[in-house]
Amino acid sequence: MPGAFEGETVTRRGLMTGGALAAGGLASAAFGLPALGFALGPNFSRTEPHRWQDVGAEGDFNKASYVQKIIDLVADVGDAGKTTIYVRKYSRAVDGKTTDQPYVAISNRCMHLGCPVRYVQAAQRFICPCHGGVYGPLGQVDGGPPVRPLDRFYTNVENGRVLIGPRFSLDSNFKRFPHPRDPSNHLDGLWQYLYPARPTT
Amino acid sequence: MDAREKEQYLREYYMLKSKGKPFFPYAVFKDSAMAFIVMLVIIVMSIVLGAELGPRADPTSTTYVPRPEWYYFFLFELLRVIKPPALVFIATVGIPTVCMVLLVLLPFIDRNPNRHPFQRPVAVVAGVLTIAAMAYLTVLGAIAGSPTEIDMKVAPQYEKGKDLAASSGCLGCHKIGENGNAGPGPPLTKIGSRLGRQAIARTLVNPTPPMPPFSALQRQNPQKFNELVSFLSSLK
Amino acid sequence: MARPRLPKPPSPRRTPPRPGTNKVVNGKKPGLKENAAEAGIATVGWLDERTGASPFLRGFLYRKVPKGTNWFYTLGSATMFAFLNQAVTGVFLAMYYDPNPTKAYDSARHITNDVWLGAFVRGMHKWGSTVMVLLVFLHMARTFFFGAYKYPRELNWLIGFVLLVLTMLMSFTGYLLPFDQRSYWASIVGINLNSSGPIVGPYLADFLRAGSEFNSVTLSRFYSIHMLLIPGAIVALIGAHLYLVAKLGTTAPPWLKAEKAKELAKEEV
Repeated sequence: MPGAFEGETVTRRGLMTGGALAAGGLASAAFGLPALGFALGPNFSRTEPHRWQDVGAEGDFNKASYVQKIIDLVADVGDAGKTTIYVRKYSRAVDGKTTDQPYVAISNRCMHLGCPVRYVQAAQRFICPCHGGVYGPLGQVDGGPPVRPLDRFYTNVENGRVLIGPRFSLDSNFKRFPHPRDPSNHLDGLWQYLYPARPTT
Repeated sequence: MDAREKEQYLREYYMLKSKGKPFFPYAVFKDSAMAFIVMLVIIVMSIVLGAELGPRADPTSTTYVPRPEWYYFFLFELLRVIKPPALVFIATVGIPTVCMVLLVLLPFIDRNPNRHPFQRPVAVVAGVLTIAAMAYLTVLGAIAGSPTEIDMKVAPQYEKGKDLAASSGCLGCHKIGENGNAGPGPPLTKIGSRLGRQAIARTLVNPTPPMPPFSALQRQNPQKFNELVSFLSSLK
Repeated sequence: MARPRLPKPPSPRRTPPRPGTNKVVNGKKPGLKENAAEAGIATVGWLDERTGASPFLRGFLYRKVPKGTNWFYTLGSATMFAFLNQAVTGVFLAMYYDPNPTKAYDSARHITNDVWLGAFVRGMHKWGSTVMVLLVFLHMARTFFFGAYKYPRELNWLIGFVLLVLTMLMSFTGYLLPFDQRSYWASIVGINLNSSGPIVGPYLADFLRAGSEFNSVTLSRFYSIHMLLIPGAIVALIGAHLYLVAKLGTTAPPWLKAEKAKELAKEEV
């Protein structure tokens, strides 16, 4: 290099340039990375707390039809964190081997895009008002675009009261996935690898 | 465009520009007039149409029928008509992503150096077709009735049957008028002229799978069942 | 012996006389009336001397626009004007809005019913968003049909595309804020739409919702994205978009040919 001493490998200019880039990079990282972590933090912590909620006495429910109840899905949001569920007592004739829970508690969130489904007693179907999804009496897809059966909740009986626990998802054969997925996430066969379990659930 | 075409364009542009008018005040006047019109339109719309606030958000609701804002109606209609569950993600992210990729790469896909509409037929036709498709889907999305209501007018004695049909999930697989899905069941808008009363009742009690049976309704509440059959028979 | 002295540096050029001062009119120095008459141009001259803005402004304002520029070309600035309307009405709405999920609806109702002109400002913001989306699409269609995305304006088209995506994101995030039934469910469906993309979809939905369910920070996140993140990006990109428009010029309408237009023979202003 012109003007360099014998054996000089880095010019003063090169050192300054590298130093400026390194220092600037460190400064940007110092305020950028925490900001990024702040924004992405909720992606790594569980959102729905695991707890049991009392929804009524055993006598409130029956084997024949679903009873509508309201539970708290997320803790500190007031009304916006509640959701509607449909609860029915387990019946061997109806449910058979599809579940091992004492009560069947079905979520009212449609598995197409999350609209609220309603249970219609006359047809014994769950109907979604958005894009025409229809579910049968066990929450399995009868028609329309939903991709898997309705999510359910763990249930327990304690002192004659029915308790509702965390949510879980099912594939079309009613196999349980303990980490619940979002609506529109398929779970049959190879699809389950495209929609893996996440840290938030 | 190769270098020769680029230079030709730049030369022609320079000539057209040098014969033009100064930005201020000629173009600025047009921009200001348009800004005034935009302001007027927004103000008039605000006064005439108002800012309605619906009922408070209620995640526990089971009766609300969600709808997006009007400029998303074409996507909403796309989601409504793509029925098979395996294709859902194509409608939600596949098609919009493909369209956006085509849109962003447009200057690199379109190599035609001409800008006159008659000299770029492919681009103009593609553009007109896209706009027409979006407009059509938007209109369809706007008039799409809720799948839990039947909008068509019927004689008063069939109102009860109509409400029962609307709330029993028939519209999940059948179309009745503008409401409902176009499959997998056949449309019921004119079912009364295809099947007699007895045939309709038989189908309801003993249907072809995957249609669910309504035999429970006939057993538990024969009057409601008869109202349903009467309504369906009246659809001629 | 006298120290050797360097020659004096050349005197600075005389600054041009400030308007309204140091001027001798009819043999008298200007009085109060003459100074007051020149107050406007004197202020402009004061600013210009300190900013050096007038060459830039002269070039920007008096640049020529090509022959045949018609009313279609106003759609871009109309979009920007609609955005300014959104920004200004949005600032006023933000003075009353409360982004807490238990209070958001009540604050929106307070704005609509109690605040003076609240319903009007809210209406302007709501319908302004419809008008802005409409104008953005009309502007894009105009650019497409006039071939104004071709050389040398490809970069402008890319910036414009990003602006389109940001505008749709603004309407998506803003829609949730009043927190009524329609807002809530449309946003839930929109977030689940994101979730349907294989592999990355659910994580994107988690990022938007700040969790796997709609929770206490989801509304704050939407509010922050709607108020700060995206408007900042839009303003920056509008600046870049306008810079390119001024530098490259707007296209002439495609049906105009330089040699054939008869009026080109005449000199325009």
